[in-house]
Amino acid sequence: MMSGGPAVRVSIESSCERQVQEVSLDGMETYVPPLSMSQNLAKLAQRIDFGQSSDSDEEGLERESREQWSKPEAEEDEGMVKFQPSLWPWDSVRNNLRSSLTEMCVLHDVLSVLKEKKYMALDPVSQDPSVAKTPQVFQLISKKKSLATAAQLLLKGAEKLTKSVVENQEQRRQRDFNSELLRLRSQWKLRKVGDKILGDLSYRSAGSLFPHHGTFEVIKNTDLDLDKKIPDDYCPLNVQIPSELEGSAYIKVSIQKQSPDIGDLGTVNLFRRQAKTKPGSQMWHLRLEAAQNVLLCKEIFAQLSREAVQIKSQIPHIVVKNQIISQPFPGLQLSISLCHSTGEKKSQRASPDKSKPDDHLYVLEHNLHQLIREFHKQTLSSVVMPHPASAPFSHKRMRLAGPMAYDKAEISSLQQNEGLLEKIIKQAKHIFLRSRTARTIDSLASRIEDPQIQAHWSNINDVYESSVKVLITSQGYEQICKSIQLQLNIGVEQIRVVHRDGRVITLSHQEQELQDFLLSQMSQHQVHAVQQLAKVMGWHVLSFSNHVGLGPIESIGNASAITVASPNGEYAISVRNGPESGCKVLVQFPRSQAKELPKSDVVQDAKWTHLRGPYKEVHWGRMEGRNFVYKMELLMAALTPCP
Amino acid sequence: MEAPPVTVMPVTGGTINMMEYLLQGSVLDQSLESLLHRLRGLCDNMEPESFADHELVYLLKGQQGNPFLLRARRSLLHPTAPWHLRYLGQPEVGDKSRHALVRNCVDVAASHSLPEFLNEMGFRMDHEFVAKGQVFRKGMMKVVVSKLSRVLVPGNTENTEPLSLSYLVELSVLAPAGQDTVSEDMRSFAEQLKPLVHLEKIDPKRLM
Repeated sequence: MMSGGPAVRVSIESSCERQVQEVSLDGMETYVPPLSMSQNLAKLAQRIDFGQSSDSDEEGLERESREQWSKPEAEEDEGMVKFQPSLWPWDSVRNNLRSSLTEMCVLHDVLSVLKEKKYMALDPVSQDPSVAKTPQVFQLISKKKSLATAAQLLLKGAEKLTKSVVENQEQRRQRDFNSELLRLRSQWKLRKVGDKILGDLSYRSAGSLFPHHGTFEVIKNTDLDLDKKIPDDYCPLNVQIPSELEGSAYIKVSIQKQSPDIGDLGTVNLFRRQAKTKPGSQMWHLRLEAAQNVLLCKEIFAQLSREAVQIKSQIPHIVVKNQIISQPFPGLQLSISLCHSTGEKKSQRASPDKSKPDDHLYVLEHNLHQLIREFHKQTLSSVVMPHPASAPFSHKRMRLAGPMAYDKAEISSLQQNEGLLEKIIKQAKHIFLRSRTARTIDSLASRIEDPQIQAHWSNINDVYESSVKVLITSQGYEQICKSIQLQLNIGVEQIRVVHRDGRVITLSHQEQELQDFLLSQMSQHQVHAVQQLAKVMGWHVLSFSNHVGLGPIESIGNASAITVASPNGEYAISVRNGPESGCKVLVQFPRSQAKELPKSDVVQDAKWTHLRGPYKEVHWGRMEGRNFVYKMELLMAALTPCP
Repeated sequence: MEAPPVTVMPVTGGTINMMEYLLQGSVLDQSLESLLHRLRGLCDNMEPESFADHELVYLLKGQQGNPFLLRARRSLLHPTAPWHLRYLGQPEVGDKSRHALVRNCVDVAASHSLPEFLNEMGFRMDHEFVAKGQVFRKGMMKVVVSKLSRVLVPGNTENTEPLSLSYLVELSVLAPAGQDTVSEDMRSFAEQLKPLVHLEKIDPKRLM
């Protein structure tokens, strides 16, 4: 925009940069003379601070020391400036550099000396404890906190350990249950029904037809307090058996004299027989075995009572409560009773008299068990299996009964005649007869010394038959007088005697018969012994009779008699021996020795005096000798004159 | 000659009226071994009994509708054993809850002249087959596992061909009439065989 008027001159001048030194009175400003180039350079050189390095994080120590050094240097510089004010501006710089060079050289020398390690070595300088001094309260708190943290860690670890131990124990319990279950299964039949484990302890799979189910249940034993000590007999497995099979039972078979009071029957003898505990067997095993035994005893008793009622016998069997009573022999009573004690109540001695411990015939109880097991096995034998397969189960031969037109006799011969009861009664009879025979022989042997009676029982017997060999001998003369040897075969109801000479005699069960027979044999033995002795001694047997028809009648058996004559014929001995009347010995003397000799006109010759004449009885009781045969031998010896 | 009248009276065998309780099932050939093992474990402890039987079914046709049926069976393994003649009546229509098939049963052992006798009586053989397998026993229960084979030439039991690829399993009990606990026992036994074989009551009328 151009306007009229003269152009204004604009002058540019720099602002006044110089400091005003003084303002005169006339307004004239006196400026501080600006620094010349060299002065400016000096000022700038002064401003170089060797204390400030490019690394700003320097320790205060170094800075302080440098400041300390730079102070005297500055003083030196000032002194030098005083001395030489016109020194070149790089003087301070040069001085600083020179001092730093000196220091560097010194450091370098020290390090090289140190490297050699011969003259100088580095040593740590102990820290001043007062430098790291912290307040005590703070220490306490920090220690407490660290301890708390450590404790926390330890507690956590301990908790984990205890938890794992408890779990381990629980697992062991679990594993114990399973291992116990495995053991149980290896011995008993188990099956799983729903969520229950049931087992079968009956004999049905072994052939029994008893209708009891015999089921037991396996339960886990969870009433265990882990805090308390585990008892020694703790078992994680428990079995629950049916209530009617609790406790223990046995079948008691005993023979007694017939009880006069029939109202006494039916009393329950609940003797508690302690079961033998096998070591190492578990509780459940014992309980299951006991329950199985109870079941078997019940089956035996049910079978026996069924037969007792059904089978018709001459003397009916009485079945009362838990006893079966029958009469094997008159005056004798066989009682079979089922003794079942549940173990809760104390045993009740209901019978007024305590039964003797040997009253119980254990053999028969064992035999009952065996018989019922035999019966079980028969139902399982392959003879029963049907061929063809659609036929019903029955014995192989019974199936032939129809087509072969068997009659009643043949069919009955096929079927089992005897039941359990009959068999047991027969066995009981035999046992009783055998024991009574033994008792008879033993009582005779102890009562009578001369002759001696010996009984040799055979070891191998049958349930229905036993045998014994009875020898009647005289002591000292066993080899000579062995003519009486009897073989007794004891059967169920009779005793059959086989004599050495071949006679067979059948004796009944009466005790008296056997006794009488043995006594008669003993008396016969004496006479036989005289016969044998005569042979040995050289005497001649004139007459011998086993059953003499003369003289008084014996009530037991018959008397026997023998007459023997001496070798030279002068003497004769007559013996008559009877079981009751005892022995009578007469000696016949020659006529010449007779005291009173009737003088006769007929018999004149002297030679007739050598004949045997009158008899004289011997006082046998006063004879010397320990037994009959010995006495007889002495007598014979006395009557035999020396040649 | 007139055909002899077929009796309509119920057939009884003597004084006791025996009933057969029956459950049937089948199992394939490949599963036979496991079934036999299980039966061996469940049933009575005996050696397994094998059998081979030849069964002939005789019919007597009367004027009325239903022919009279008799089954004659003999054992091929035991030739001297007697023949077995069996009559099976109609299944009892009792309550539906009974688990087994119940029917009247008459069993008779017969001599070896049975086929001629039946022919003379007027029976005609309808069909025959051969059954081979095993018999198991548990108490009164009988389990028969059998393979049925068709006889190709009548009378010749050597040439047979199997009827199917499976075995017939029959659980039967012969008991007097009126015992209902038997069917319970049978059912519980059949439960134990459950996954291997399903034994159930099969009405023969429904099959025809």
